[in-house]
Amino acid sequence: MAMAATVRREGRRLLPIISSSPNPSRSALISDELGPQGARSISTQIVRNRMKSVKNIQKITKAMKMVAASKLRAIQVRAENSRGLWQPFTALLGDAPSIDVKKNVIVTISSDKGLCGGINSTSVKISKGFYKLNSGPDKETKYVVLGEKAKAQLVRDSKKNIDLCITELQKNPLNYTQVAVLADEILKNVEFDALRIVFNKFQSVVSFIPTLSTILSPEVVERESESGGKLGDLDSYEIEGGETKAEILQNLAEFQFSCVMFNAILENACSEQGARMSAMDSSSRNAGEMLDRLTLTYNRTRQASITTELIEIISGASALTG
Amino acid sequence: MASTAAVPFWRSAGMTYITYSNICASLVRNCLKEPYKSEAISREKVHFAVSKWADGKPEKPSLRSDSPE
Repeated sequence: MAMAATVRREGRRLLPIISSSPNPSRSALISDELGPQGARSISTQIVRNRMKSVKNIQKITKAMKMVAASKLRAIQVRAENSRGLWQPFTALLGDAPSIDVKKNVIVTISSDKGLCGGINSTSVKISKGFYKLNSGPDKETKYVVLGEKAKAQLVRDSKKNIDLCITELQKNPLNYTQVAVLADEILKNVEFDALRIVFNKFQSVVSFIPTLSTILSPEVVERESESGGKLGDLDSYEIEGGETKAEILQNLAEFQFSCVMFNAILENACSEQGARMSAMDSSSRNAGEMLDRLTLTYNRTRQASITTELIEIISGASALTG
Repeated sequence: MASTAAVPFWRSAGMTYITYSNICASLVRNCLKEPYKSEAISREKVHFAVSKWADGKPEKPSLRSDSPE
């Protein structure tokens, strides 16, 4: 119904043009006597243009949905397979999201492209929450941002705390080597006691769980395992070879970071495609509904104008005969 | 065993375990036979842009890429 109101408004706007058209005597007669001004000569052109543009948008969103669906299928398998990479680490080192350390680094994972619902703002919101949770007088918290979208949101109010920004990740299909080089880059450029990776874990096409994975630096792991805190049973493992426990832990922490990053990036990419798919699905449905309403308005206006013309002709004819 | 030294040689060269394991993985991939070799090597492509931030300003991004020349 809102649409009808718009059309009426448009019709009124066109009125000066119409009334200045040749045949002034007739239009003056109608506008004085019958109904609202310009009711008879509503232009259907505007509605027709609108319908055309809505139809085109619907086509585009449908195509984007198909693309997202096919990309999702490819990436979903890989994301689910990559879960096997971090599970052993969690079994060995545990996951300690509540650990309290000095230097926190929050790794926010987002996508480069938009039009995928709320997954980017979710991960930004969660990251900001953890930032607040982990900031204190003698603490230092920094962001490492993956993807354009989270960068754009974080620049607004916390650009002082961004340490590193990584984009253009998904130009080639994601692979482990790439993520490993990236993890290496982060490790070399950022000092940390705990890395907190925030990403959207893929649950199903319509549900994503914002997730936090915590990677501790080797020193913190050692301290925690010695104090028997959250990571108590690390001592029950025997260490083979000539390496010391610290070395083993350092290697492990580095490898754990790259594996968890790999999984997190895949899960987030998967969630992105899923979110894009459902967003595009609902927008093409919306476009369809809009098109239906527009068609209804268009037909009704057309019919009304035909009826008016018929009445005019008939009454004119009867005036002549009568 | 080369890694029996107190500090492994690759760490004293400034590498992390990730770099080390990547080099090892690349060596293994190169040992494959042909139909599998090029497929495995295609999984080695690296492409991303990194920019460091200092005082709330991004520095010029550096591109890490080894897409086929």
